[in-house]
Amino acid sequence: MFLLSICQWLDSTRLNAAMRMSTWFFPVFDTIHTLGIVLVAGTIMLVDLRLLGLALPSEPVTAVVQRIVPWTLRGFALMFVTGALLFSSEAVKLYHSPAFRIKLVLLALAGLNALIFHLTIYRGVANWDPVAAVPVRARLTGLLSLAFWIAIIAAGRAIAYGSGYDLG
Amino acid sequence: MMAISLLPVFEWMESTPVGQTIRHSAALIALLESIHLIGLTLLLGTILMVDLSLLGLGIGRSPASRIARELRGWTAAGLVIMLVSGPVFLSSEAIRCYRSPAFWTKMALLAIAVTFHFTIHKKVVFEEPAAPRQPARWTACLSLGLWTSVALAGKAIAIFQPPG
Repeated sequence: MFLLSICQWLDSTRLNAAMRMSTWFFPVFDTIHTLGIVLVAGTIMLVDLRLLGLALPSEPVTAVVQRIVPWTLRGFALMFVTGALLFSSEAVKLYHSPAFRIKLVLLALAGLNALIFHLTIYRGVANWDPVAAVPVRARLTGLLSLAFWIAIIAAGRAIAYGSGYDLG
Repeated sequence: MMAISLLPVFEWMESTPVGQTIRHSAALIALLESIHLIGLTLLLGTILMVDLSLLGLGIGRSPASRIARELRGWTAAGLVIMLVSGPVFLSSEAIRCYRSPAFWTKMALLAIAVTFHFTIHKKVVFEEPAAPRQPARWTACLSLGLWTSVALAGKAIAIFQPPG
């Protein structure tokens, strides 16, 4: 209920009214948001595929991570800022959308998966990259990340088309 | 003139069982859009890496040709996913798309992007490392610009209601 009251407050703000009145706000921010997700997923998937041994076999994992992850983070910043604004333009509606809740949980899981990877297996990357095969746990990170991001994209589309809006 | 003669094709597409089934299912529309977006993600992600290499921002000191070769399969996979899911999706609202300037803009941009990708872009990427840098930079910028505008035009199909 605490979260719901925050959403109700967001819906009552002047910013919210301005965003709702505007005809261009939603299409423009939704488009930037989509490009942000494509940038995040498109770059992180390459890291995932590298960990799984399915792409860029002659590039060391460290080189791939160093060059690609900054782009993932840029995309994430874009996606997060536009996402937060889109959310605050229809907070209560989204609060009741199951697809939106699932998307947030998936985002948290994807983030946690990446965080655990960086704090554990990736710390010892010098021991296995590029001489040995990618450890099973790192491959598992890649596989989970791929699955999470595919699901996040699908959940995002489900918010737009889902019946979730009516369940509240 | 060409567009006029294509109307019956679009009408037929929309009348097919596939078109009619998707048209009446929000779940199928969301699924197809998701698949189409995942294809776009693969395509743009891989092309971005190749173009960054052309701009001198690639992975390590690896030449763009090696990055392109090692990602070629995934670029192709992304393109195939988009070229299969696109027409299927199109069949659910073919007549609306036929009347949509955004749709025809997207098709034109797509034709230009694909042609550019498999001709000039390919040639520049796989040229000898001694190739001059400036054309490589232009090629990378043009490539990123073209593919991004294809994506933007795609979004515009949904945003703008066709006239009439």
